[in-house]
Parts: sequence; C-alpha cells; structure tokens
Amino acid sequence: MISTLLTPTDGDAIVGGYSVVKEPEKVRECITYLPDEAGAYKNMKGISYLRFMAGLFSSDIDTINKCVDRAKEICGLGERLNDKIGTYSRGMIRKLLLARAVMTKPKLAILDEPTSGLDVLNAIEIRKTIKKLAQEEGMSFLLSSHNMLEIEFVSDRVGIIAKGHLMVTGKIDELKQRYNAANLEEVFERVVKENEIH
Amino acid sequence: MKFINLFKKELSELINKQMIISLIATMAIFMILGSVMTESISDISEETKSVTINISDRDKTEFTGNLMKSLEELNSETTELTIKTFETEGDDYAAILSENDIENIVIIPEGFTAALDKTEQPELIAVSRMKSAATLSNLNVDNSSAIALIEQSISDTIANDTGMSDSQYKLMNNPVIITENTVIDDKSAVISTSSIISKISMQNMILPIIVFVLIMLTSQMLMSAISNEKLDKTLETLLSAPVSRLSVLGAKMLAAAVVALLNAVAYMIGFSKFVSGASDTLSEEAESLANKGLTVDAALEQLGLSLGFTDYLLVGLQLFFTIMICLSISLILGALINDSKNAQNMLMPIMMMAMVPYMISMMTDINALPTVIRLLVYAIPFTHTFSAIPNLMFGNTSLFFIGLGYQIIIFAVCIFFALRLFMSDKIFTISLNFGQKSRYKKKRKNSEEE
Repeated sequence: MISTLLTPTDGDAIVGGYSVVKEPEKVRECITYLPDEAGAYKNMKGISYLRFMAGLFSSDIDTINKCVDRAKEICGLGERLNDKIGTYSRGMIRKLLLARAVMTKPKLAILDEPTSGLDVLNAIEIRKTIKKLAQEEGMSFLLSSHNMLEIEFVSDRVGIIAKGHLMVTGKIDELKQRYNAANLEEVFERVVKENEIH
Repeated sequence: MKFINLFKKELSELINKQMIISLIATMAIFMILGSVMTESISDISEETKSVTINISDRDKTEFTGNLMKSLEELNSETTELTIKTFETEGDDYAAILSENDIENIVIIPEGFTAALDKTEQPELIAVSRMKSAATLSNLNVDNSSAIALIEQSISDTIANDTGMSDSQYKLMNNPVIITENTVIDDKSAVISTSSIISKISMQNMILPIIVFVLIMLTSQMLMSAISNEKLDKTLETLLSAPVSRLSVLGAKMLAAAVVALLNAVAYMIGFSKFVSGASDTLSEEAESLANKGLTVDAALEQLGLSLGFTDYLLVGLQLFFTIMICLSISLILGALINDSKNAQNMLMPIMMMAMVPYMISMMTDINALPTVIRLLVYAIPFTHTFSAIPNLMFGNTSLFFIGLGYQIIIFAVCIFFALRLFMSDKIFTISLNFGQKSRYKKKRKNSEEE
C-alpha cells in the first residue's frame, strides 16, 4: 500500500509529505520498491536495465547518467553489467535490483526480503550497503524480513507484524528490555505468544 | 520522454534475434514455395503441351490399322504429339507398364472392330500409373488426350461412312457456342463465373491469412509481455515507478501492434510472391482460354468487383479495430496468467475466435449459412474482418458497416474492462485457476485460518 500498488480500503499513509490515497503519483516520485523474489528483464543488459529504470524517474539525460553511475558503483558488478541479465546469478540480480532501488536517492526505499535466498556473503554485502546508504545518504528504508538477525543489524526501529496485525513498534534496545530478551528473535517469539494468549 | 523510454524497452523485448530470424525464414519459405509452384506449373503446362500417347493394338484389323495410321500421320504433322506403339498381351497391366518403362497406355482389345461393325460401343482399355495423391503430379499420366484422339478418329470414320457433310459434322461436334454472362446486383459482364472465381479467390486468400497471423501474433506478444512482467514481478517495480499505468499499458499495446504489423508486412510480401507465382501462370492460361475480348480485370471493373481507394481505407479501418480488440482481450487474458504453463491455454479463446471465421470464410459464404449459425458466427468480432472484402465487393455495404459498428462496440467494452483491471489492485491479485487456488488467495485464507 505504501508503494501505491494497492489501494487501502480505509485509512491513509503519508509518505514524503504526500498521501498515498490522494496523491499516489507524488508518492511514487519519492519512493522505490524492491519486491520479494523480483526478477529483471532477462533479455536486457544490466546497464540497459539501469538506464531504463532511471529514465522512468527522470527525463533529464544528466540526471539519468548520474543515477546510472551511482548504481554501477553500488552494485559492484563492473564489466558484467554489459552482459544480459539472464546470465546473472541470484545474488547478482539482487545486487543490481538493490542498486536500481537506491540509485535515484529516494526518500524512502521499500525492500521486501532483500536478502532472501542469497548466500551468506552476498547477504552480508547487501545489508552493509543498506546500512551505509542510510547513514551516509540519509535515505529511509522500510525493510521486511523473516530474518531477525538481519533486522537487528540494519534497523533503527522495528515493527513486529503477526497474522497481518502490527503488534509492537519501537527501537531494538527498548523492545529487548521490555520483553527481557537477549535478541530480537526472542522478542518476536514472546510478542507472538503473548498475543496468542489474549 | 518517459513513454518513449517505455516504448523502446517494449520493442527491444519483442524484437530479438529469434523474431528476426523467424521473420526472414517465413518470407524465404513463401518465396521459395512461390518459385517452386511457378516452376512445377510451367513444367506441367510444358508437359501437357507435348503429349505422349502410348498405344497398343491387339485387334489388328483393317479399321484399327487405319486408326493407327491416321494417328501416326498426326504424329508427323505436329511436334507436340508423340505416339508410341507397343505390343502387349495379358491383363497384368502393372507388368506391361514396367516392362515398357511407361506411365500410361491405351490398349485396343480384340473384338474392337467387330463391336463397331455391330454398331455397339466397343471397349477401350486405359491404364495409368498413379504415383501420388497430389493433383499436379498426376496431370501428365492422364490418358484422356489419347482417348480423345481415338474417339475423334472413330467419329471421323463414321461420319465418312454415313456421308455426312463437313459442316454437319462440325455442328454435331460443337452444337452450340456459349456466350457466358455473369450478373452481380444490377451489373453484368460477358465472362464466365468460373474465371471470375479463379481470379478473385487467389486475391481473397491473402487478406484472411494476414488477418489470422496478425491476430495470433499481437495477442501472443501482448499476453506474454504482460504475463512475464507479472510472473517476474517486474510489473510491481514498474508500477511503483513514477509513470502512469496508462503509459505502461499504452507502450505495451503500441509495441505489440507495431511488431505485429511488421510481421504482417513480411507475410504479405512473402505470400504475394507465393500467390503471384502460382496464379500468374495459371490465370494467364485461363484468361487466354476463357475470354474472348474481355480480360478478367476489365470484367471485374465492369461488375464493380474491383475495390477502390475508399474500400481499402474501410478495410484498413476494420483491421485497425480488429487489432485493438485483440490487444484489449489479450490484456485481460495476459493478466489472468499465473504460471508460464497456462500461458499457452490462454491463447486458445483468441485462436478459436480467429480460427472459426477464418475456416468458414475460406470454405463458404457466411451469409449463406442457416440463420442461427450465421448469428453465432457473426457474434465473433473477428468474423467481420474476414468478411469485409467480400461484403464490399458484392455491395453489402450495410452489412460491412454493421460489422464495423459491432467491432467498435466490442472494442469499447473490452478496453473498458481491461483498463478497469489495470487501474485497480486486481492486476496483482487476479488469476484464473481451474480448481487450484491462487497464491494470493491461499495466503489470505491461511492467515485467516491462523
């Protein structure tokens, strides 16, 4: 809903100062979305894909070039960007898509399970990139994951959703204290169990 | 600018090496077929011009001797006729043909003259070897010219015997001169219906094939463009970017239409080469045989069968709406695809809608069908495209415009639903499952149960 793909039946959300219900076009200008298990156009070269996606955010050639240069740097795929995406591994596609999601410097990047199905090294690299971008570029990330360690590593604030309902929100340390837990995984377990009892 | 970006991406997705290779291959196949047809037809017409008659006389009477002699005289008179005589016996005709290394023979059996003397119809044995079921390859093993020559000389002999005058004899052979007239509506021309049919049927074959190819290609391309985006989840990425859904959709439709048109042009060029290869040789001969004075083209003009500029414009307009209907239906069907396996099945409804009127229009006049079936066939929007040219040719303009109007209405309805689907959340959630729940629905149900 925040990515404006689905319309809420009720309520609203404000992203970058715009309502997702009333001004979805404005919202789309300041967000990017990376769906879970997303693919890319297999017959396109990596570089053409970046150029195409940048072209959707801006009509100015200079801006597009800047975006593509940024993405090149972030994804670290080097010469492989000139190959067709069909020849990429999962990790490479994920890196390309992440670079695509952040190259336009959106106010908010929505990442759905950004490291799912990736090997340990690729996952670490992606988490580091996310953290770095948030710290250095001041971008906000809305990240969903089943991996509590990942959340603990990258997030400032956490919300726990169970059965489609947002149960708790807060900073990681606050939550650990409140639930007397050693890590976020235990917090999650306790939150879910507590709500089952009620 | 953004639209051009989208459009360029869609085009580059559709135009790839395989597509170009298949396009060139199709054109080449048609052209090769065309030249093969031209060659085999001209071969056959050469062969039919130079007739070889194989004959065997088992009766050996004075009459048959004279018959053979008169045939041999013909042989020396004309270079196109070769007559060979053989000695044969028995009724193992296969052995006779292979022993003499020939494909056909006419045998005059014993008792032939005796029967004639009794004014009974004598028996003549014709043997020909059939090598295949193809019409063209059997043309030259026909015994008919041999039989005609023998019949002719028997008639000549009888005419001589009875003392018939030359003019009487000619009249008996050709009792009437036929002046054939064809009437269409209130116009008429001195030409046989068969020569008109042979001319326009070739012309009318091209359009239905192109329409068929166009329908199948556009729908297949657009459907896979949409379903691939949906399955790869690139659609979600695309629609969360700051571009309107309309321009995403428009770019896809335009690209599919452009590529389909490119294919249609290639087919048209290839196919017209093929048809002209086949029909030129045939119609030249047909024209020289069937017409005295009036050419087929002039007759078509006189009958109002030739199409003018406005007619072609109208046909073009109808073709445009056909493709638009096709595109809007494929938008909906493409969105319903939820795995690559059922993508093929989704093409079925469009294929049937194109196939039924295509087949019917090839075989019969839709207007001549029983009312219920006719209405059913007319309910298929593509029928009107297939019947457009015949309708315009034969002056059924009201039927043409009803068809065009119907297509516009169908298009409006289809595009309305397609746009509604794309503008709503349904584009991400809809799927057609036969007895199988979609991932989305399953997820929702599971979370409700928990």
